Parts: sequence; structure tokens; C-alpha cells
Amino acid sequence: MLPVNLEKRKDSGMFGDLRSGETRVIGKRTPRVDSIAKLTGEAIFVSDMAFAGMLFAQVKKSPHARARILRIDTRKAEALPGVRAILTGDELDYRVGLYMVDKYILAKGEVRHYGEAVAAVAADTTAIARQAVDLIHVEYEKLPPVLHPLDAIREDAPLVHPQLGNYDYIDTAFSPIPGTNICNHTKLRKGDIETAFKRSEWILEREYTNPSVQHVPMETHVAIVSWKHDDQVTIWSSAQSPFTLRNLFCMAFKLSHRKVRVIVPYVGGGFGGKAGIHIEPLVACLSRKAGGRPVKFTATREEEFSLLPCRSALTYRVKTGVSSDGKIIGQKMTMYWDSGAYADYAVNVTRASGYSAAGPYEIPNSWVDAYTIYTNKPFGTAYRGFGHVEFFWGIERHMDLVAHAIGMDSLDFRKKNALRPGSVTLTGEKIEEHTGNVLTCLKAAEKAVGYGRLTAGEKKREQRSGMKIGKAVVALHKAPAMPPFTATGVILKMNEDATVTANLSLTEIGQGTYTALAQIIAEHLRFPLHRIKISQETDTDRDPYDWQTVASKGLLLTGNAALLAAQDLLRKSYELASQILRAQPVDLDHDKDKVFILHNPEASVTFREMAVGYAFPDGRSIGGPLIGIGSYIAQGLTHLDKETGQGLPALDWTYGAHGIIVEVDEHTGEYNILKVASVFDVGKVINPDAVRGQAIGGMLQGLGTAICEGYIYDQEGHLLNPSFTDNKIPTARDLPLEVESMVVETPQLDGPYGARGVGEHSMIAVAAALGNAIQQACGAELTHMPIRFEDVWRSLGKKEPIDNWITKSPFGSCKSAPEIRKNRPVQ
Amino acid sequence: MIHDFRYVRPERLDEVLDLLSDRGEKGCVFSGGTDLFVDIRAGMTTPDYVVDLKGIESLHHLSFDKKEGLSIGACVTVNELIQHEAVKKHYSILAIAGRELASHQIRNRATVVGNVVTASPCGDMASPLLCLDAEAVILSNKGSRNILLSDFVTGVKSTTLRPDELVEKIIVPSRMIDATGGYKKLKRIRGHDLGVVSVALLKRKDTLRFAISSAAPTPVLLPDFPPSASVEEVQAAAQQAISPIDDVRCSREYRAFMVNVFIERLMKGAE
Repeated sequence: MLPVNLEKRKDSGMFGDLRSGETRVIGKRTPRVDSIAKLTGEAIFVSDMAFAGMLFAQVKKSPHARARILRIDTRKAEALPGVRAILTGDELDYRVGLYMVDKYILAKGEVRHYGEAVAAVAADTTAIARQAVDLIHVEYEKLPPVLHPLDAIREDAPLVHPQLGNYDYIDTAFSPIPGTNICNHTKLRKGDIETAFKRSEWILEREYTNPSVQHVPMETHVAIVSWKHDDQVTIWSSAQSPFTLRNLFCMAFKLSHRKVRVIVPYVGGGFGGKAGIHIEPLVACLSRKAGGRPVKFTATREEEFSLLPCRSALTYRVKTGVSSDGKIIGQKMTMYWDSGAYADYAVNVTRASGYSAAGPYEIPNSWVDAYTIYTNKPFGTAYRGFGHVEFFWGIERHMDLVAHAIGMDSLDFRKKNALRPGSVTLTGEKIEEHTGNVLTCLKAAEKAVGYGRLTAGEKKREQRSGMKIGKAVVALHKAPAMPPFTATGVILKMNEDATVTANLSLTEIGQGTYTALAQIIAEHLRFPLHRIKISQETDTDRDPYDWQTVASKGLLLTGNAALLAAQDLLRKSYELASQILRAQPVDLDHDKDKVFILHNPEASVTFREMAVGYAFPDGRSIGGPLIGIGSYIAQGLTHLDKETGQGLPALDWTYGAHGIIVEVDEHTGEYNILKVASVFDVGKVINPDAVRGQAIGGMLQGLGTAICEGYIYDQEGHLLNPSFTDNKIPTARDLPLEVESMVVETPQLDGPYGARGVGEHSMIAVAAALGNAIQQACGAELTHMPIRFEDVWRSLGKKEPIDNWITKSPFGSCKSAPEIRKNRPVQ
Repeated sequence: MIHDFRYVRPERLDEVLDLLSDRGEKGCVFSGGTDLFVDIRAGMTTPDYVVDLKGIESLHHLSFDKKEGLSIGACVTVNELIQHEAVKKHYSILAIAGRELASHQIRNRATVVGNVVTASPCGDMASPLLCLDAEAVILSNKGSRNILLSDFVTGVKSTTLRPDELVEKIIVPSRMIDATGGYKKLKRIRGHDLGVVSVALLKRKDTLRFAISSAAPTPVLLPDFPPSASVEEVQAAAQQAISPIDDVRCSREYRAFMVNVFIERLMKGAE
């Protein structure tokens, strides 16, 4: 495609800067392109939007975890003036689902979780709709719920989905077991686990647990839908993934994609909770029933906790065989993911966690069984880290416990087993030099917290406070969890004044990618950053396809598409300029304003002159609007073998490490986090401010999970903390006293300017770092998070744990000692 | 979703009292609204009338007088209280405890009197005010009465206040101006949390006085101790007086334990 001789001129021409070390915009601190609009309130979110004739929706929710719906009486609600549409499950025969098509729009016949939608109303005002919902009478017959995944896999457990065997699902990736509550079983088999255990000097087995938590985006789920004549549907939604939303919507209602339009303006945070399809089908059905009037539903904060999905709870059992010199030779990992009532993303969380389950360590013989299990609880979906925050609590706690048990320093143990060039991952992928460097990350974190010793200042602090200081360093990794054929497109349109507007469907949900994309485009075009605009609103009728905004894959995939679009725009500019200047494209070069002949720069034509077509002095014209198109698809990934889990799932591996310093009151269990130092191998920093923002924000979100967050249920499956009153998240005041964020840059060969994603990674393994440092400080051995002061106190006093009963592991918890078996005495 | 009610904002106190007398249990007063509207939104209370007190100037009075003591009007916000020079100087325990109440934004609206009248076991203002022998001045269109806060709160969210009555102000006696003290509160996060359990200590020349919140249906005032009292002595009395429960915030056991920890910290800090 490219003229061969173009390759010779690496420093000039349209590809001049791509591999060069010198960058103009890339790597420089860049203010976010959306910050002022958001800070001043100018940014319009769906929550702000209203249309003429718009109706307001409210939802009737189940007070029970599991019950048969005997009858629903809507007569009184229908009689209420101002009510325009009432829906119950009886009249909606559509099932929706991302990977397993298992969820009715409104419960039919049976409710499967506390807070599930059983009826809905659209009315002239929210007040009328709420009143109508209150007037709907639902008669239930309560059924015994199944609440813990380990109960749900018992033979006599009630089935949450007796029809599991009839559901459609993505069979290249998932394996449901009909007749059980297991909606997916991900297997991974590498090497010979039994022989490895026989050869092991030490065998340690332990179980780690964590509860469900809520994403808590600032903007709750909200959608406006208008279902007009001829099934023309327009959806405005606070959503992460407009195209996946459209696709799932079209599949559920059997509509042509051309009829459905999804518009996503500014989004007030997502964290995974807005990745799939949620309230939009229900709102759409209300609009259809109300004759096509636009209907708006805005979830309350309380509805976020139980009507809408959460992060799955996990019970993770790890059995590790270690050689006499501290090398892990075999590891068996069993994950019980609590999906709640519907599979949603949980099946894919299970799959992605399964192939990543050992952390960034080489395990020559490994065995993973990861189960997604239905229970009668609010369902789990994607959440920043996609399973890794949860299982890294287990795996990085486990690395410390194993190291202690075999008498090795836990950081030395990590370094000894860390993935390095030549290592082979669980799925059989070979690690290369350019994959990234977890050892460098570990060493940077080690240095930043002064691991392994206390400074004079720290010793003085201990004396003064009477508290004990502990330090820990943990490692982490994550690859995007996505189909091997994940694709995206970018369109660059040159405007009359030689500015450029980019259309794309990755959404900006706070992660800062739009700024990075603007930098990439500006860098490659050699334009000043201010001449690049990323269109903030995405619209499936206007913008090119993007699979989803998830998985920390946006920078790499959309970044590459943006680069290709910029190349295309330059190619077209050069082609046009070559006619105007009567020169071959290969003899041209450009600067921010014009294309010129390399050896005769005065012969030039400006981008402005060419932007929408070039007119010669006599009026004859050539060209037309300059539009650059870039399409990119993940390269070289494969499905995983369903029996062995072998294959190539990882677009890129982002490695990282956290170092932490904590002080603990041994008497009361209270603790203060003195420092967290985080380091990630991001390949190449595009925007240092964005990397730092993601590093600190994610770390604090991880600390929230670690210190206080979690759903608490009673024995009937009612959520006992369904609001901010008792479901706390941290604030800025919970930041560690000192925060340090660092990067390692091992360029990703196929990343834009060498970059790879880092949106989720900062949240991963922070909880384990805290748990390890607390144990190092005072000996408290915790296997369940969150780590409340009381949990530390109970662990130190060897008291019964008080984890809420549902997440408490039946196999032991913070009081128990690890199960240690020694095959042979140490020489 | 807000339940429908009529909003009234009288300009004179007697109008308020007449309204309360006419409406009885269907009316309720409102100043900060930080509890009231949370309860209305949750459907826990459904008043027909909400009487906004903020139009009445006298209820905004916060004043200190060496003879009368500190007078805290019904509309005085927690931030106004804790920023008041006389409070900082003479009643530091109120400033210390007030700073622990919710967040700065909430304190801009929440009133001191409201925090007491709500009578939540975890209110932050009640235990320091109990230690200070504070009194509520209660009005109705039949007259007025004064009642010690220790007699005012009778149970979880219940007080001796009748539906036709209004707490006009809280008076903290001037004899307490020499007192120092402290307030310790267990929270789940460092910001705006409810008290999982908390202890207030008021220290005067001749007495130590403790009050404990979130450890019984009402805030608990312990009998006075001499300054020579031992930590163990106070802890033993505290454990006798409290009856903590298990809930999603904490176990009974840890609440009881932390009461002792806070007593010890307050006494050592007060030495």
C-alpha cells in the first residue's frame, strides 16, 4: 500500500513520528479536554435532559429474594389520573442477556432477587408514577432462597433458573451446566498438577472471600427512550457501550440495527456498571405502550444497590505446591463466583479471572475451576478490574501466607516466581521482553516504601504512637477481557479552518481517554492539540462502531484506530497536495499548517485550502472534504480451549505493583494507612496527569473495597445496607497520608506510541497489600475483606469472625490457620 | 420521591405554636431538614404540614452570657455553634464533638437542636450536652417548660416533646464554662459517618463526667466521678450502664470494647 521508498524517510513524511523518541504532545502533561465543561456544569448528562411530552417512569420492586408472583393487581394504578402506561412481566416476552440470555425485562412468574423489577409505570410526573407504583398490589408466595454459592451447588439446592438448559448463550466462551445453578464453568489445565503436588516440598491450601460491592457512579443509571412509529427507537442513556447496548437491544426485540439509535452524551461515571444493557429495554417498552412518548427513568441511589447490578462476591480456594527452594511448581485454583440472580457479566468475569488467576507468576502446573453460580441476590456485573480486585485479594494474600509458612521473605518469594521473558502464562502464552516488566515494578514499589526495614523516623513514630508499622509489596497484572475479534473505528473530519473533529464510539466515562486520543491525533498530524476535538457525544447513527468501553482496552484499540485515521487523513491530504503542487506524495512533507515539497518548501498548499476541497484560482476544484478513516481489530487473539483453557486471550498485559505502609494498634485493631506507592508498566505514558489520576483514583477505590465496602444480607436475602447510610465508600479524607505514583515504560509493540491500558489496574491488589501490611505489623491473619477495625481486633484476639453470615466462608475465615502439609522434612 | 405536604414558613413564633397546636401529629417543624427529609423520602414520616422555623429571627440566636450561659436557638446550625468564639473558649467539648458530626456541608444545614430532638442513639451533640447539664426550653401556646436533656430523651427517636410543642432553644449553664473535655467516635470511614460508638468526657475541677452514644437506646450519662477515679472504675460503671446491640455497623462486643478504649484515651488525654 505504501510506496516502498517512504519507509526510508522515517523522520519525515506522513509516518515520520511514529517510532521516534521525540514527541511533541505525547508524554506531556495535558489538561483533560472535558474538565472545564464538567467543572462548570456546562456538560449535559442524560440526567439533565428533558423532551417535550416526556413521561417519567417508576419501578415496583420485589421485597423478597425469591417468591412466586401469584397475581399483580394494577387496577387502582390504572385509574390514577396522569398514568400513561403500566407494564407487568405478563405482557413482556423478551429476554435480555449479554452472554447468557437469561433475564426477562420484568420478572415473570418468579422473582429472583430482592429489589428485582416486577412492574413499571410511566406517568406525567415522577410523583404520579410513584403513587401509581404504590397502588400496584403484588401477591407473592415466598419461596426459600438460595443465597450462598456453596449452598447453591449442593445437589438439593433450589434452582434459580430451572430453564438454564434452554437459554441462548455465547458457546465459544461459556459452559453452563443445565440442571444446576452453575451458569458457567471455566476450566484451565496446564501441565500435570498431581505430579507437581507429589514433587512439592510444601503444600498450602487456603480460602479467601469478599462480598459484593456497588460501583457508585456519581450519575445513577438513567435513560430516556422514545419508541416511535415503524419501530424507530431512540435511546439516550448514561451508558458505557452504545453499540453493544444497541446490539443487545436489537437482539432482544428482533429489530433491525438501522432502526435503533443510541445516543450517549457526557456520562457521570461507570466503573463497569453501565457497560451492558440495563434499564433501557424496560423504558423502551413503557414508551411503546405510551404511544411513543419519550419516557425517562432515573435510578435512585437506593435502586443502584439492588435493582441495578453490583460486583460479584467471590470465594476463592488456592492450593499451592512449592519446591524446597521456594519455586511454585503447582497450583490448584477454585473460584466460586456469586453471580446473583442473573449471569450478566459475571460469567465473563469468571472466564477472565480464570485465565489470570495465579497473578503475574509462572506456575508450570496449574489447574483452574472457576464457577459462576446463580443465587437469589442482586446480580453481578463488570466492575473496574473485572474480577481481578476480588481474586487478587486472595492470590496476593496467599503469596504472603505461603512465604511465611515456608520461611521466606514474601517479596523474595514473589520475585522468584514472577513472570519474566520466556515464562509461559496459564493459557500457554509466552512472555516476551516487550510484554512488560513486573520485576521492575516490584523493585520500584519496594524502594518507594523502604520495604523490609523501618526508618529512624518510622521507629520514632512507633514509639510515639504505640502503634506497630507494617510494610508490604504486592504485584498485579491484568489483560483486557474481550472477544478475540474486538474492533473499533475512528473518523477524522477536517473542518474548514484546518481543525479536526473526531467521531468515535468509545465513551469518556472519566478515564481521560478522549484527552489521550486527542494527543495521539495531534502528535501524528503534527497539529497543535487545540485544533483537535473529540466529539463528546456518541451516536450510533453517526459514529463508527466500537465494541464497548471496558477492559482498559480503549487507549490501545481506539488509539490505534485514531492513528490509522490520522494516517489516512494525511495520505488523502498528500494525494490532493500532490496534484496541486504537481509532485509525487513521496516528495512531500508537512507542518502544522501546510503540505510542502521537501526540497522546495516554498511550494506549498495549506490544510485550510484543502480542508473541504481545493479550488484553483479559476474556480475549478478537486478533492472534497478531507476525511480520515481508521479501523482496528485486536490482533492475534484466539478463543480458549474449553477443556484446557489454552489459547491467546490477552491483547496486552499491564503489570504493576503497590507498596504500602500501615500502622496498626495491636490492642484495638485500628489502623492508619501512611503511604501507598503504585507503579505500572504502562508501555508509554501518553498523559502523565491522566496516569496519575487513574493511579490515585483507582487506588482509593481499591482501598474502599479493602476498608469498608460490602453488601450485607439477612438470612432471607434482604439487603440490610441498601443505601449510603450503611454502605459506605471512602472520601478524599481516607487517602493515605502519602501517595506516590510511578510508571515503568516497556513499550507495547502494537500500542499507539507504545502505550497500553491502565484504567483498572490501580484498583487491583490494593486490598491484599493492606491485608499483608496489617499482618506484618501485628500478626492479624485476615482472609476476608473488607478489613474493618473490628476484623483486625477479632483476628488478633482469635475471636469468632463476625463477617456477615452470607460471605463468611464455611471453610474457615480470619481466625483459622492455613492448612499446611509438609511432604518431606527440609534438609 | 417526596411525600406531599403543605409547607408553611411563619414569621412569628406564636404562629408556629398555633399551627402545631392545630395540626397536632400531622405537623412537624423543620429547620435544617437533614433528618426530616431523609425520613420523608424513605416514607418513615408522612407529615401533612411542614413548618419551617427559619423565618423566625429569635430562633437563630446563639448567645453567651456569663450569667445565663450559652443559649442555642432552634435554628442554630452545627457550624455556627462550633465556629462561635464563646463556644470554642468556654464549651470546647461542644466544638470538638460538633466537628465530628457529618460533613461540613451537612453541618451548614443541620441544627444542634434538631440533632437532639431527633433523639437518635448515635447523635453527636447529645452526649456532650448531657455532660454539660443542658436544658431544653420548650414552648407551646399553653406556656413553656424547661427540661434537662437527660430527662428529655426517652428512647430511640423518642422524647417527652408533645406534638404541640417546640424546642425553642437549648441552654447550657454558665457554671460549666471552666470545663474541658473530649469526644471520641468510632467511624467506618474518616469523613461523614454516623457514630458507630462514641464517648464524651467533660472534665471539671472536681468531677469527671462521661456520656456514651450508640451503645444503648438513648445516650447514656454516667454518674459523676472524682478526678482521682481510676480508668477501671469508670470502665466498670460504663459497662454496667450500656446495652449495645449487634448490627450491620458493629458487633455488641466491639462496641463495648471500644467504649472502654475511648474512656481510657479520654482519661489519659485529660490528665
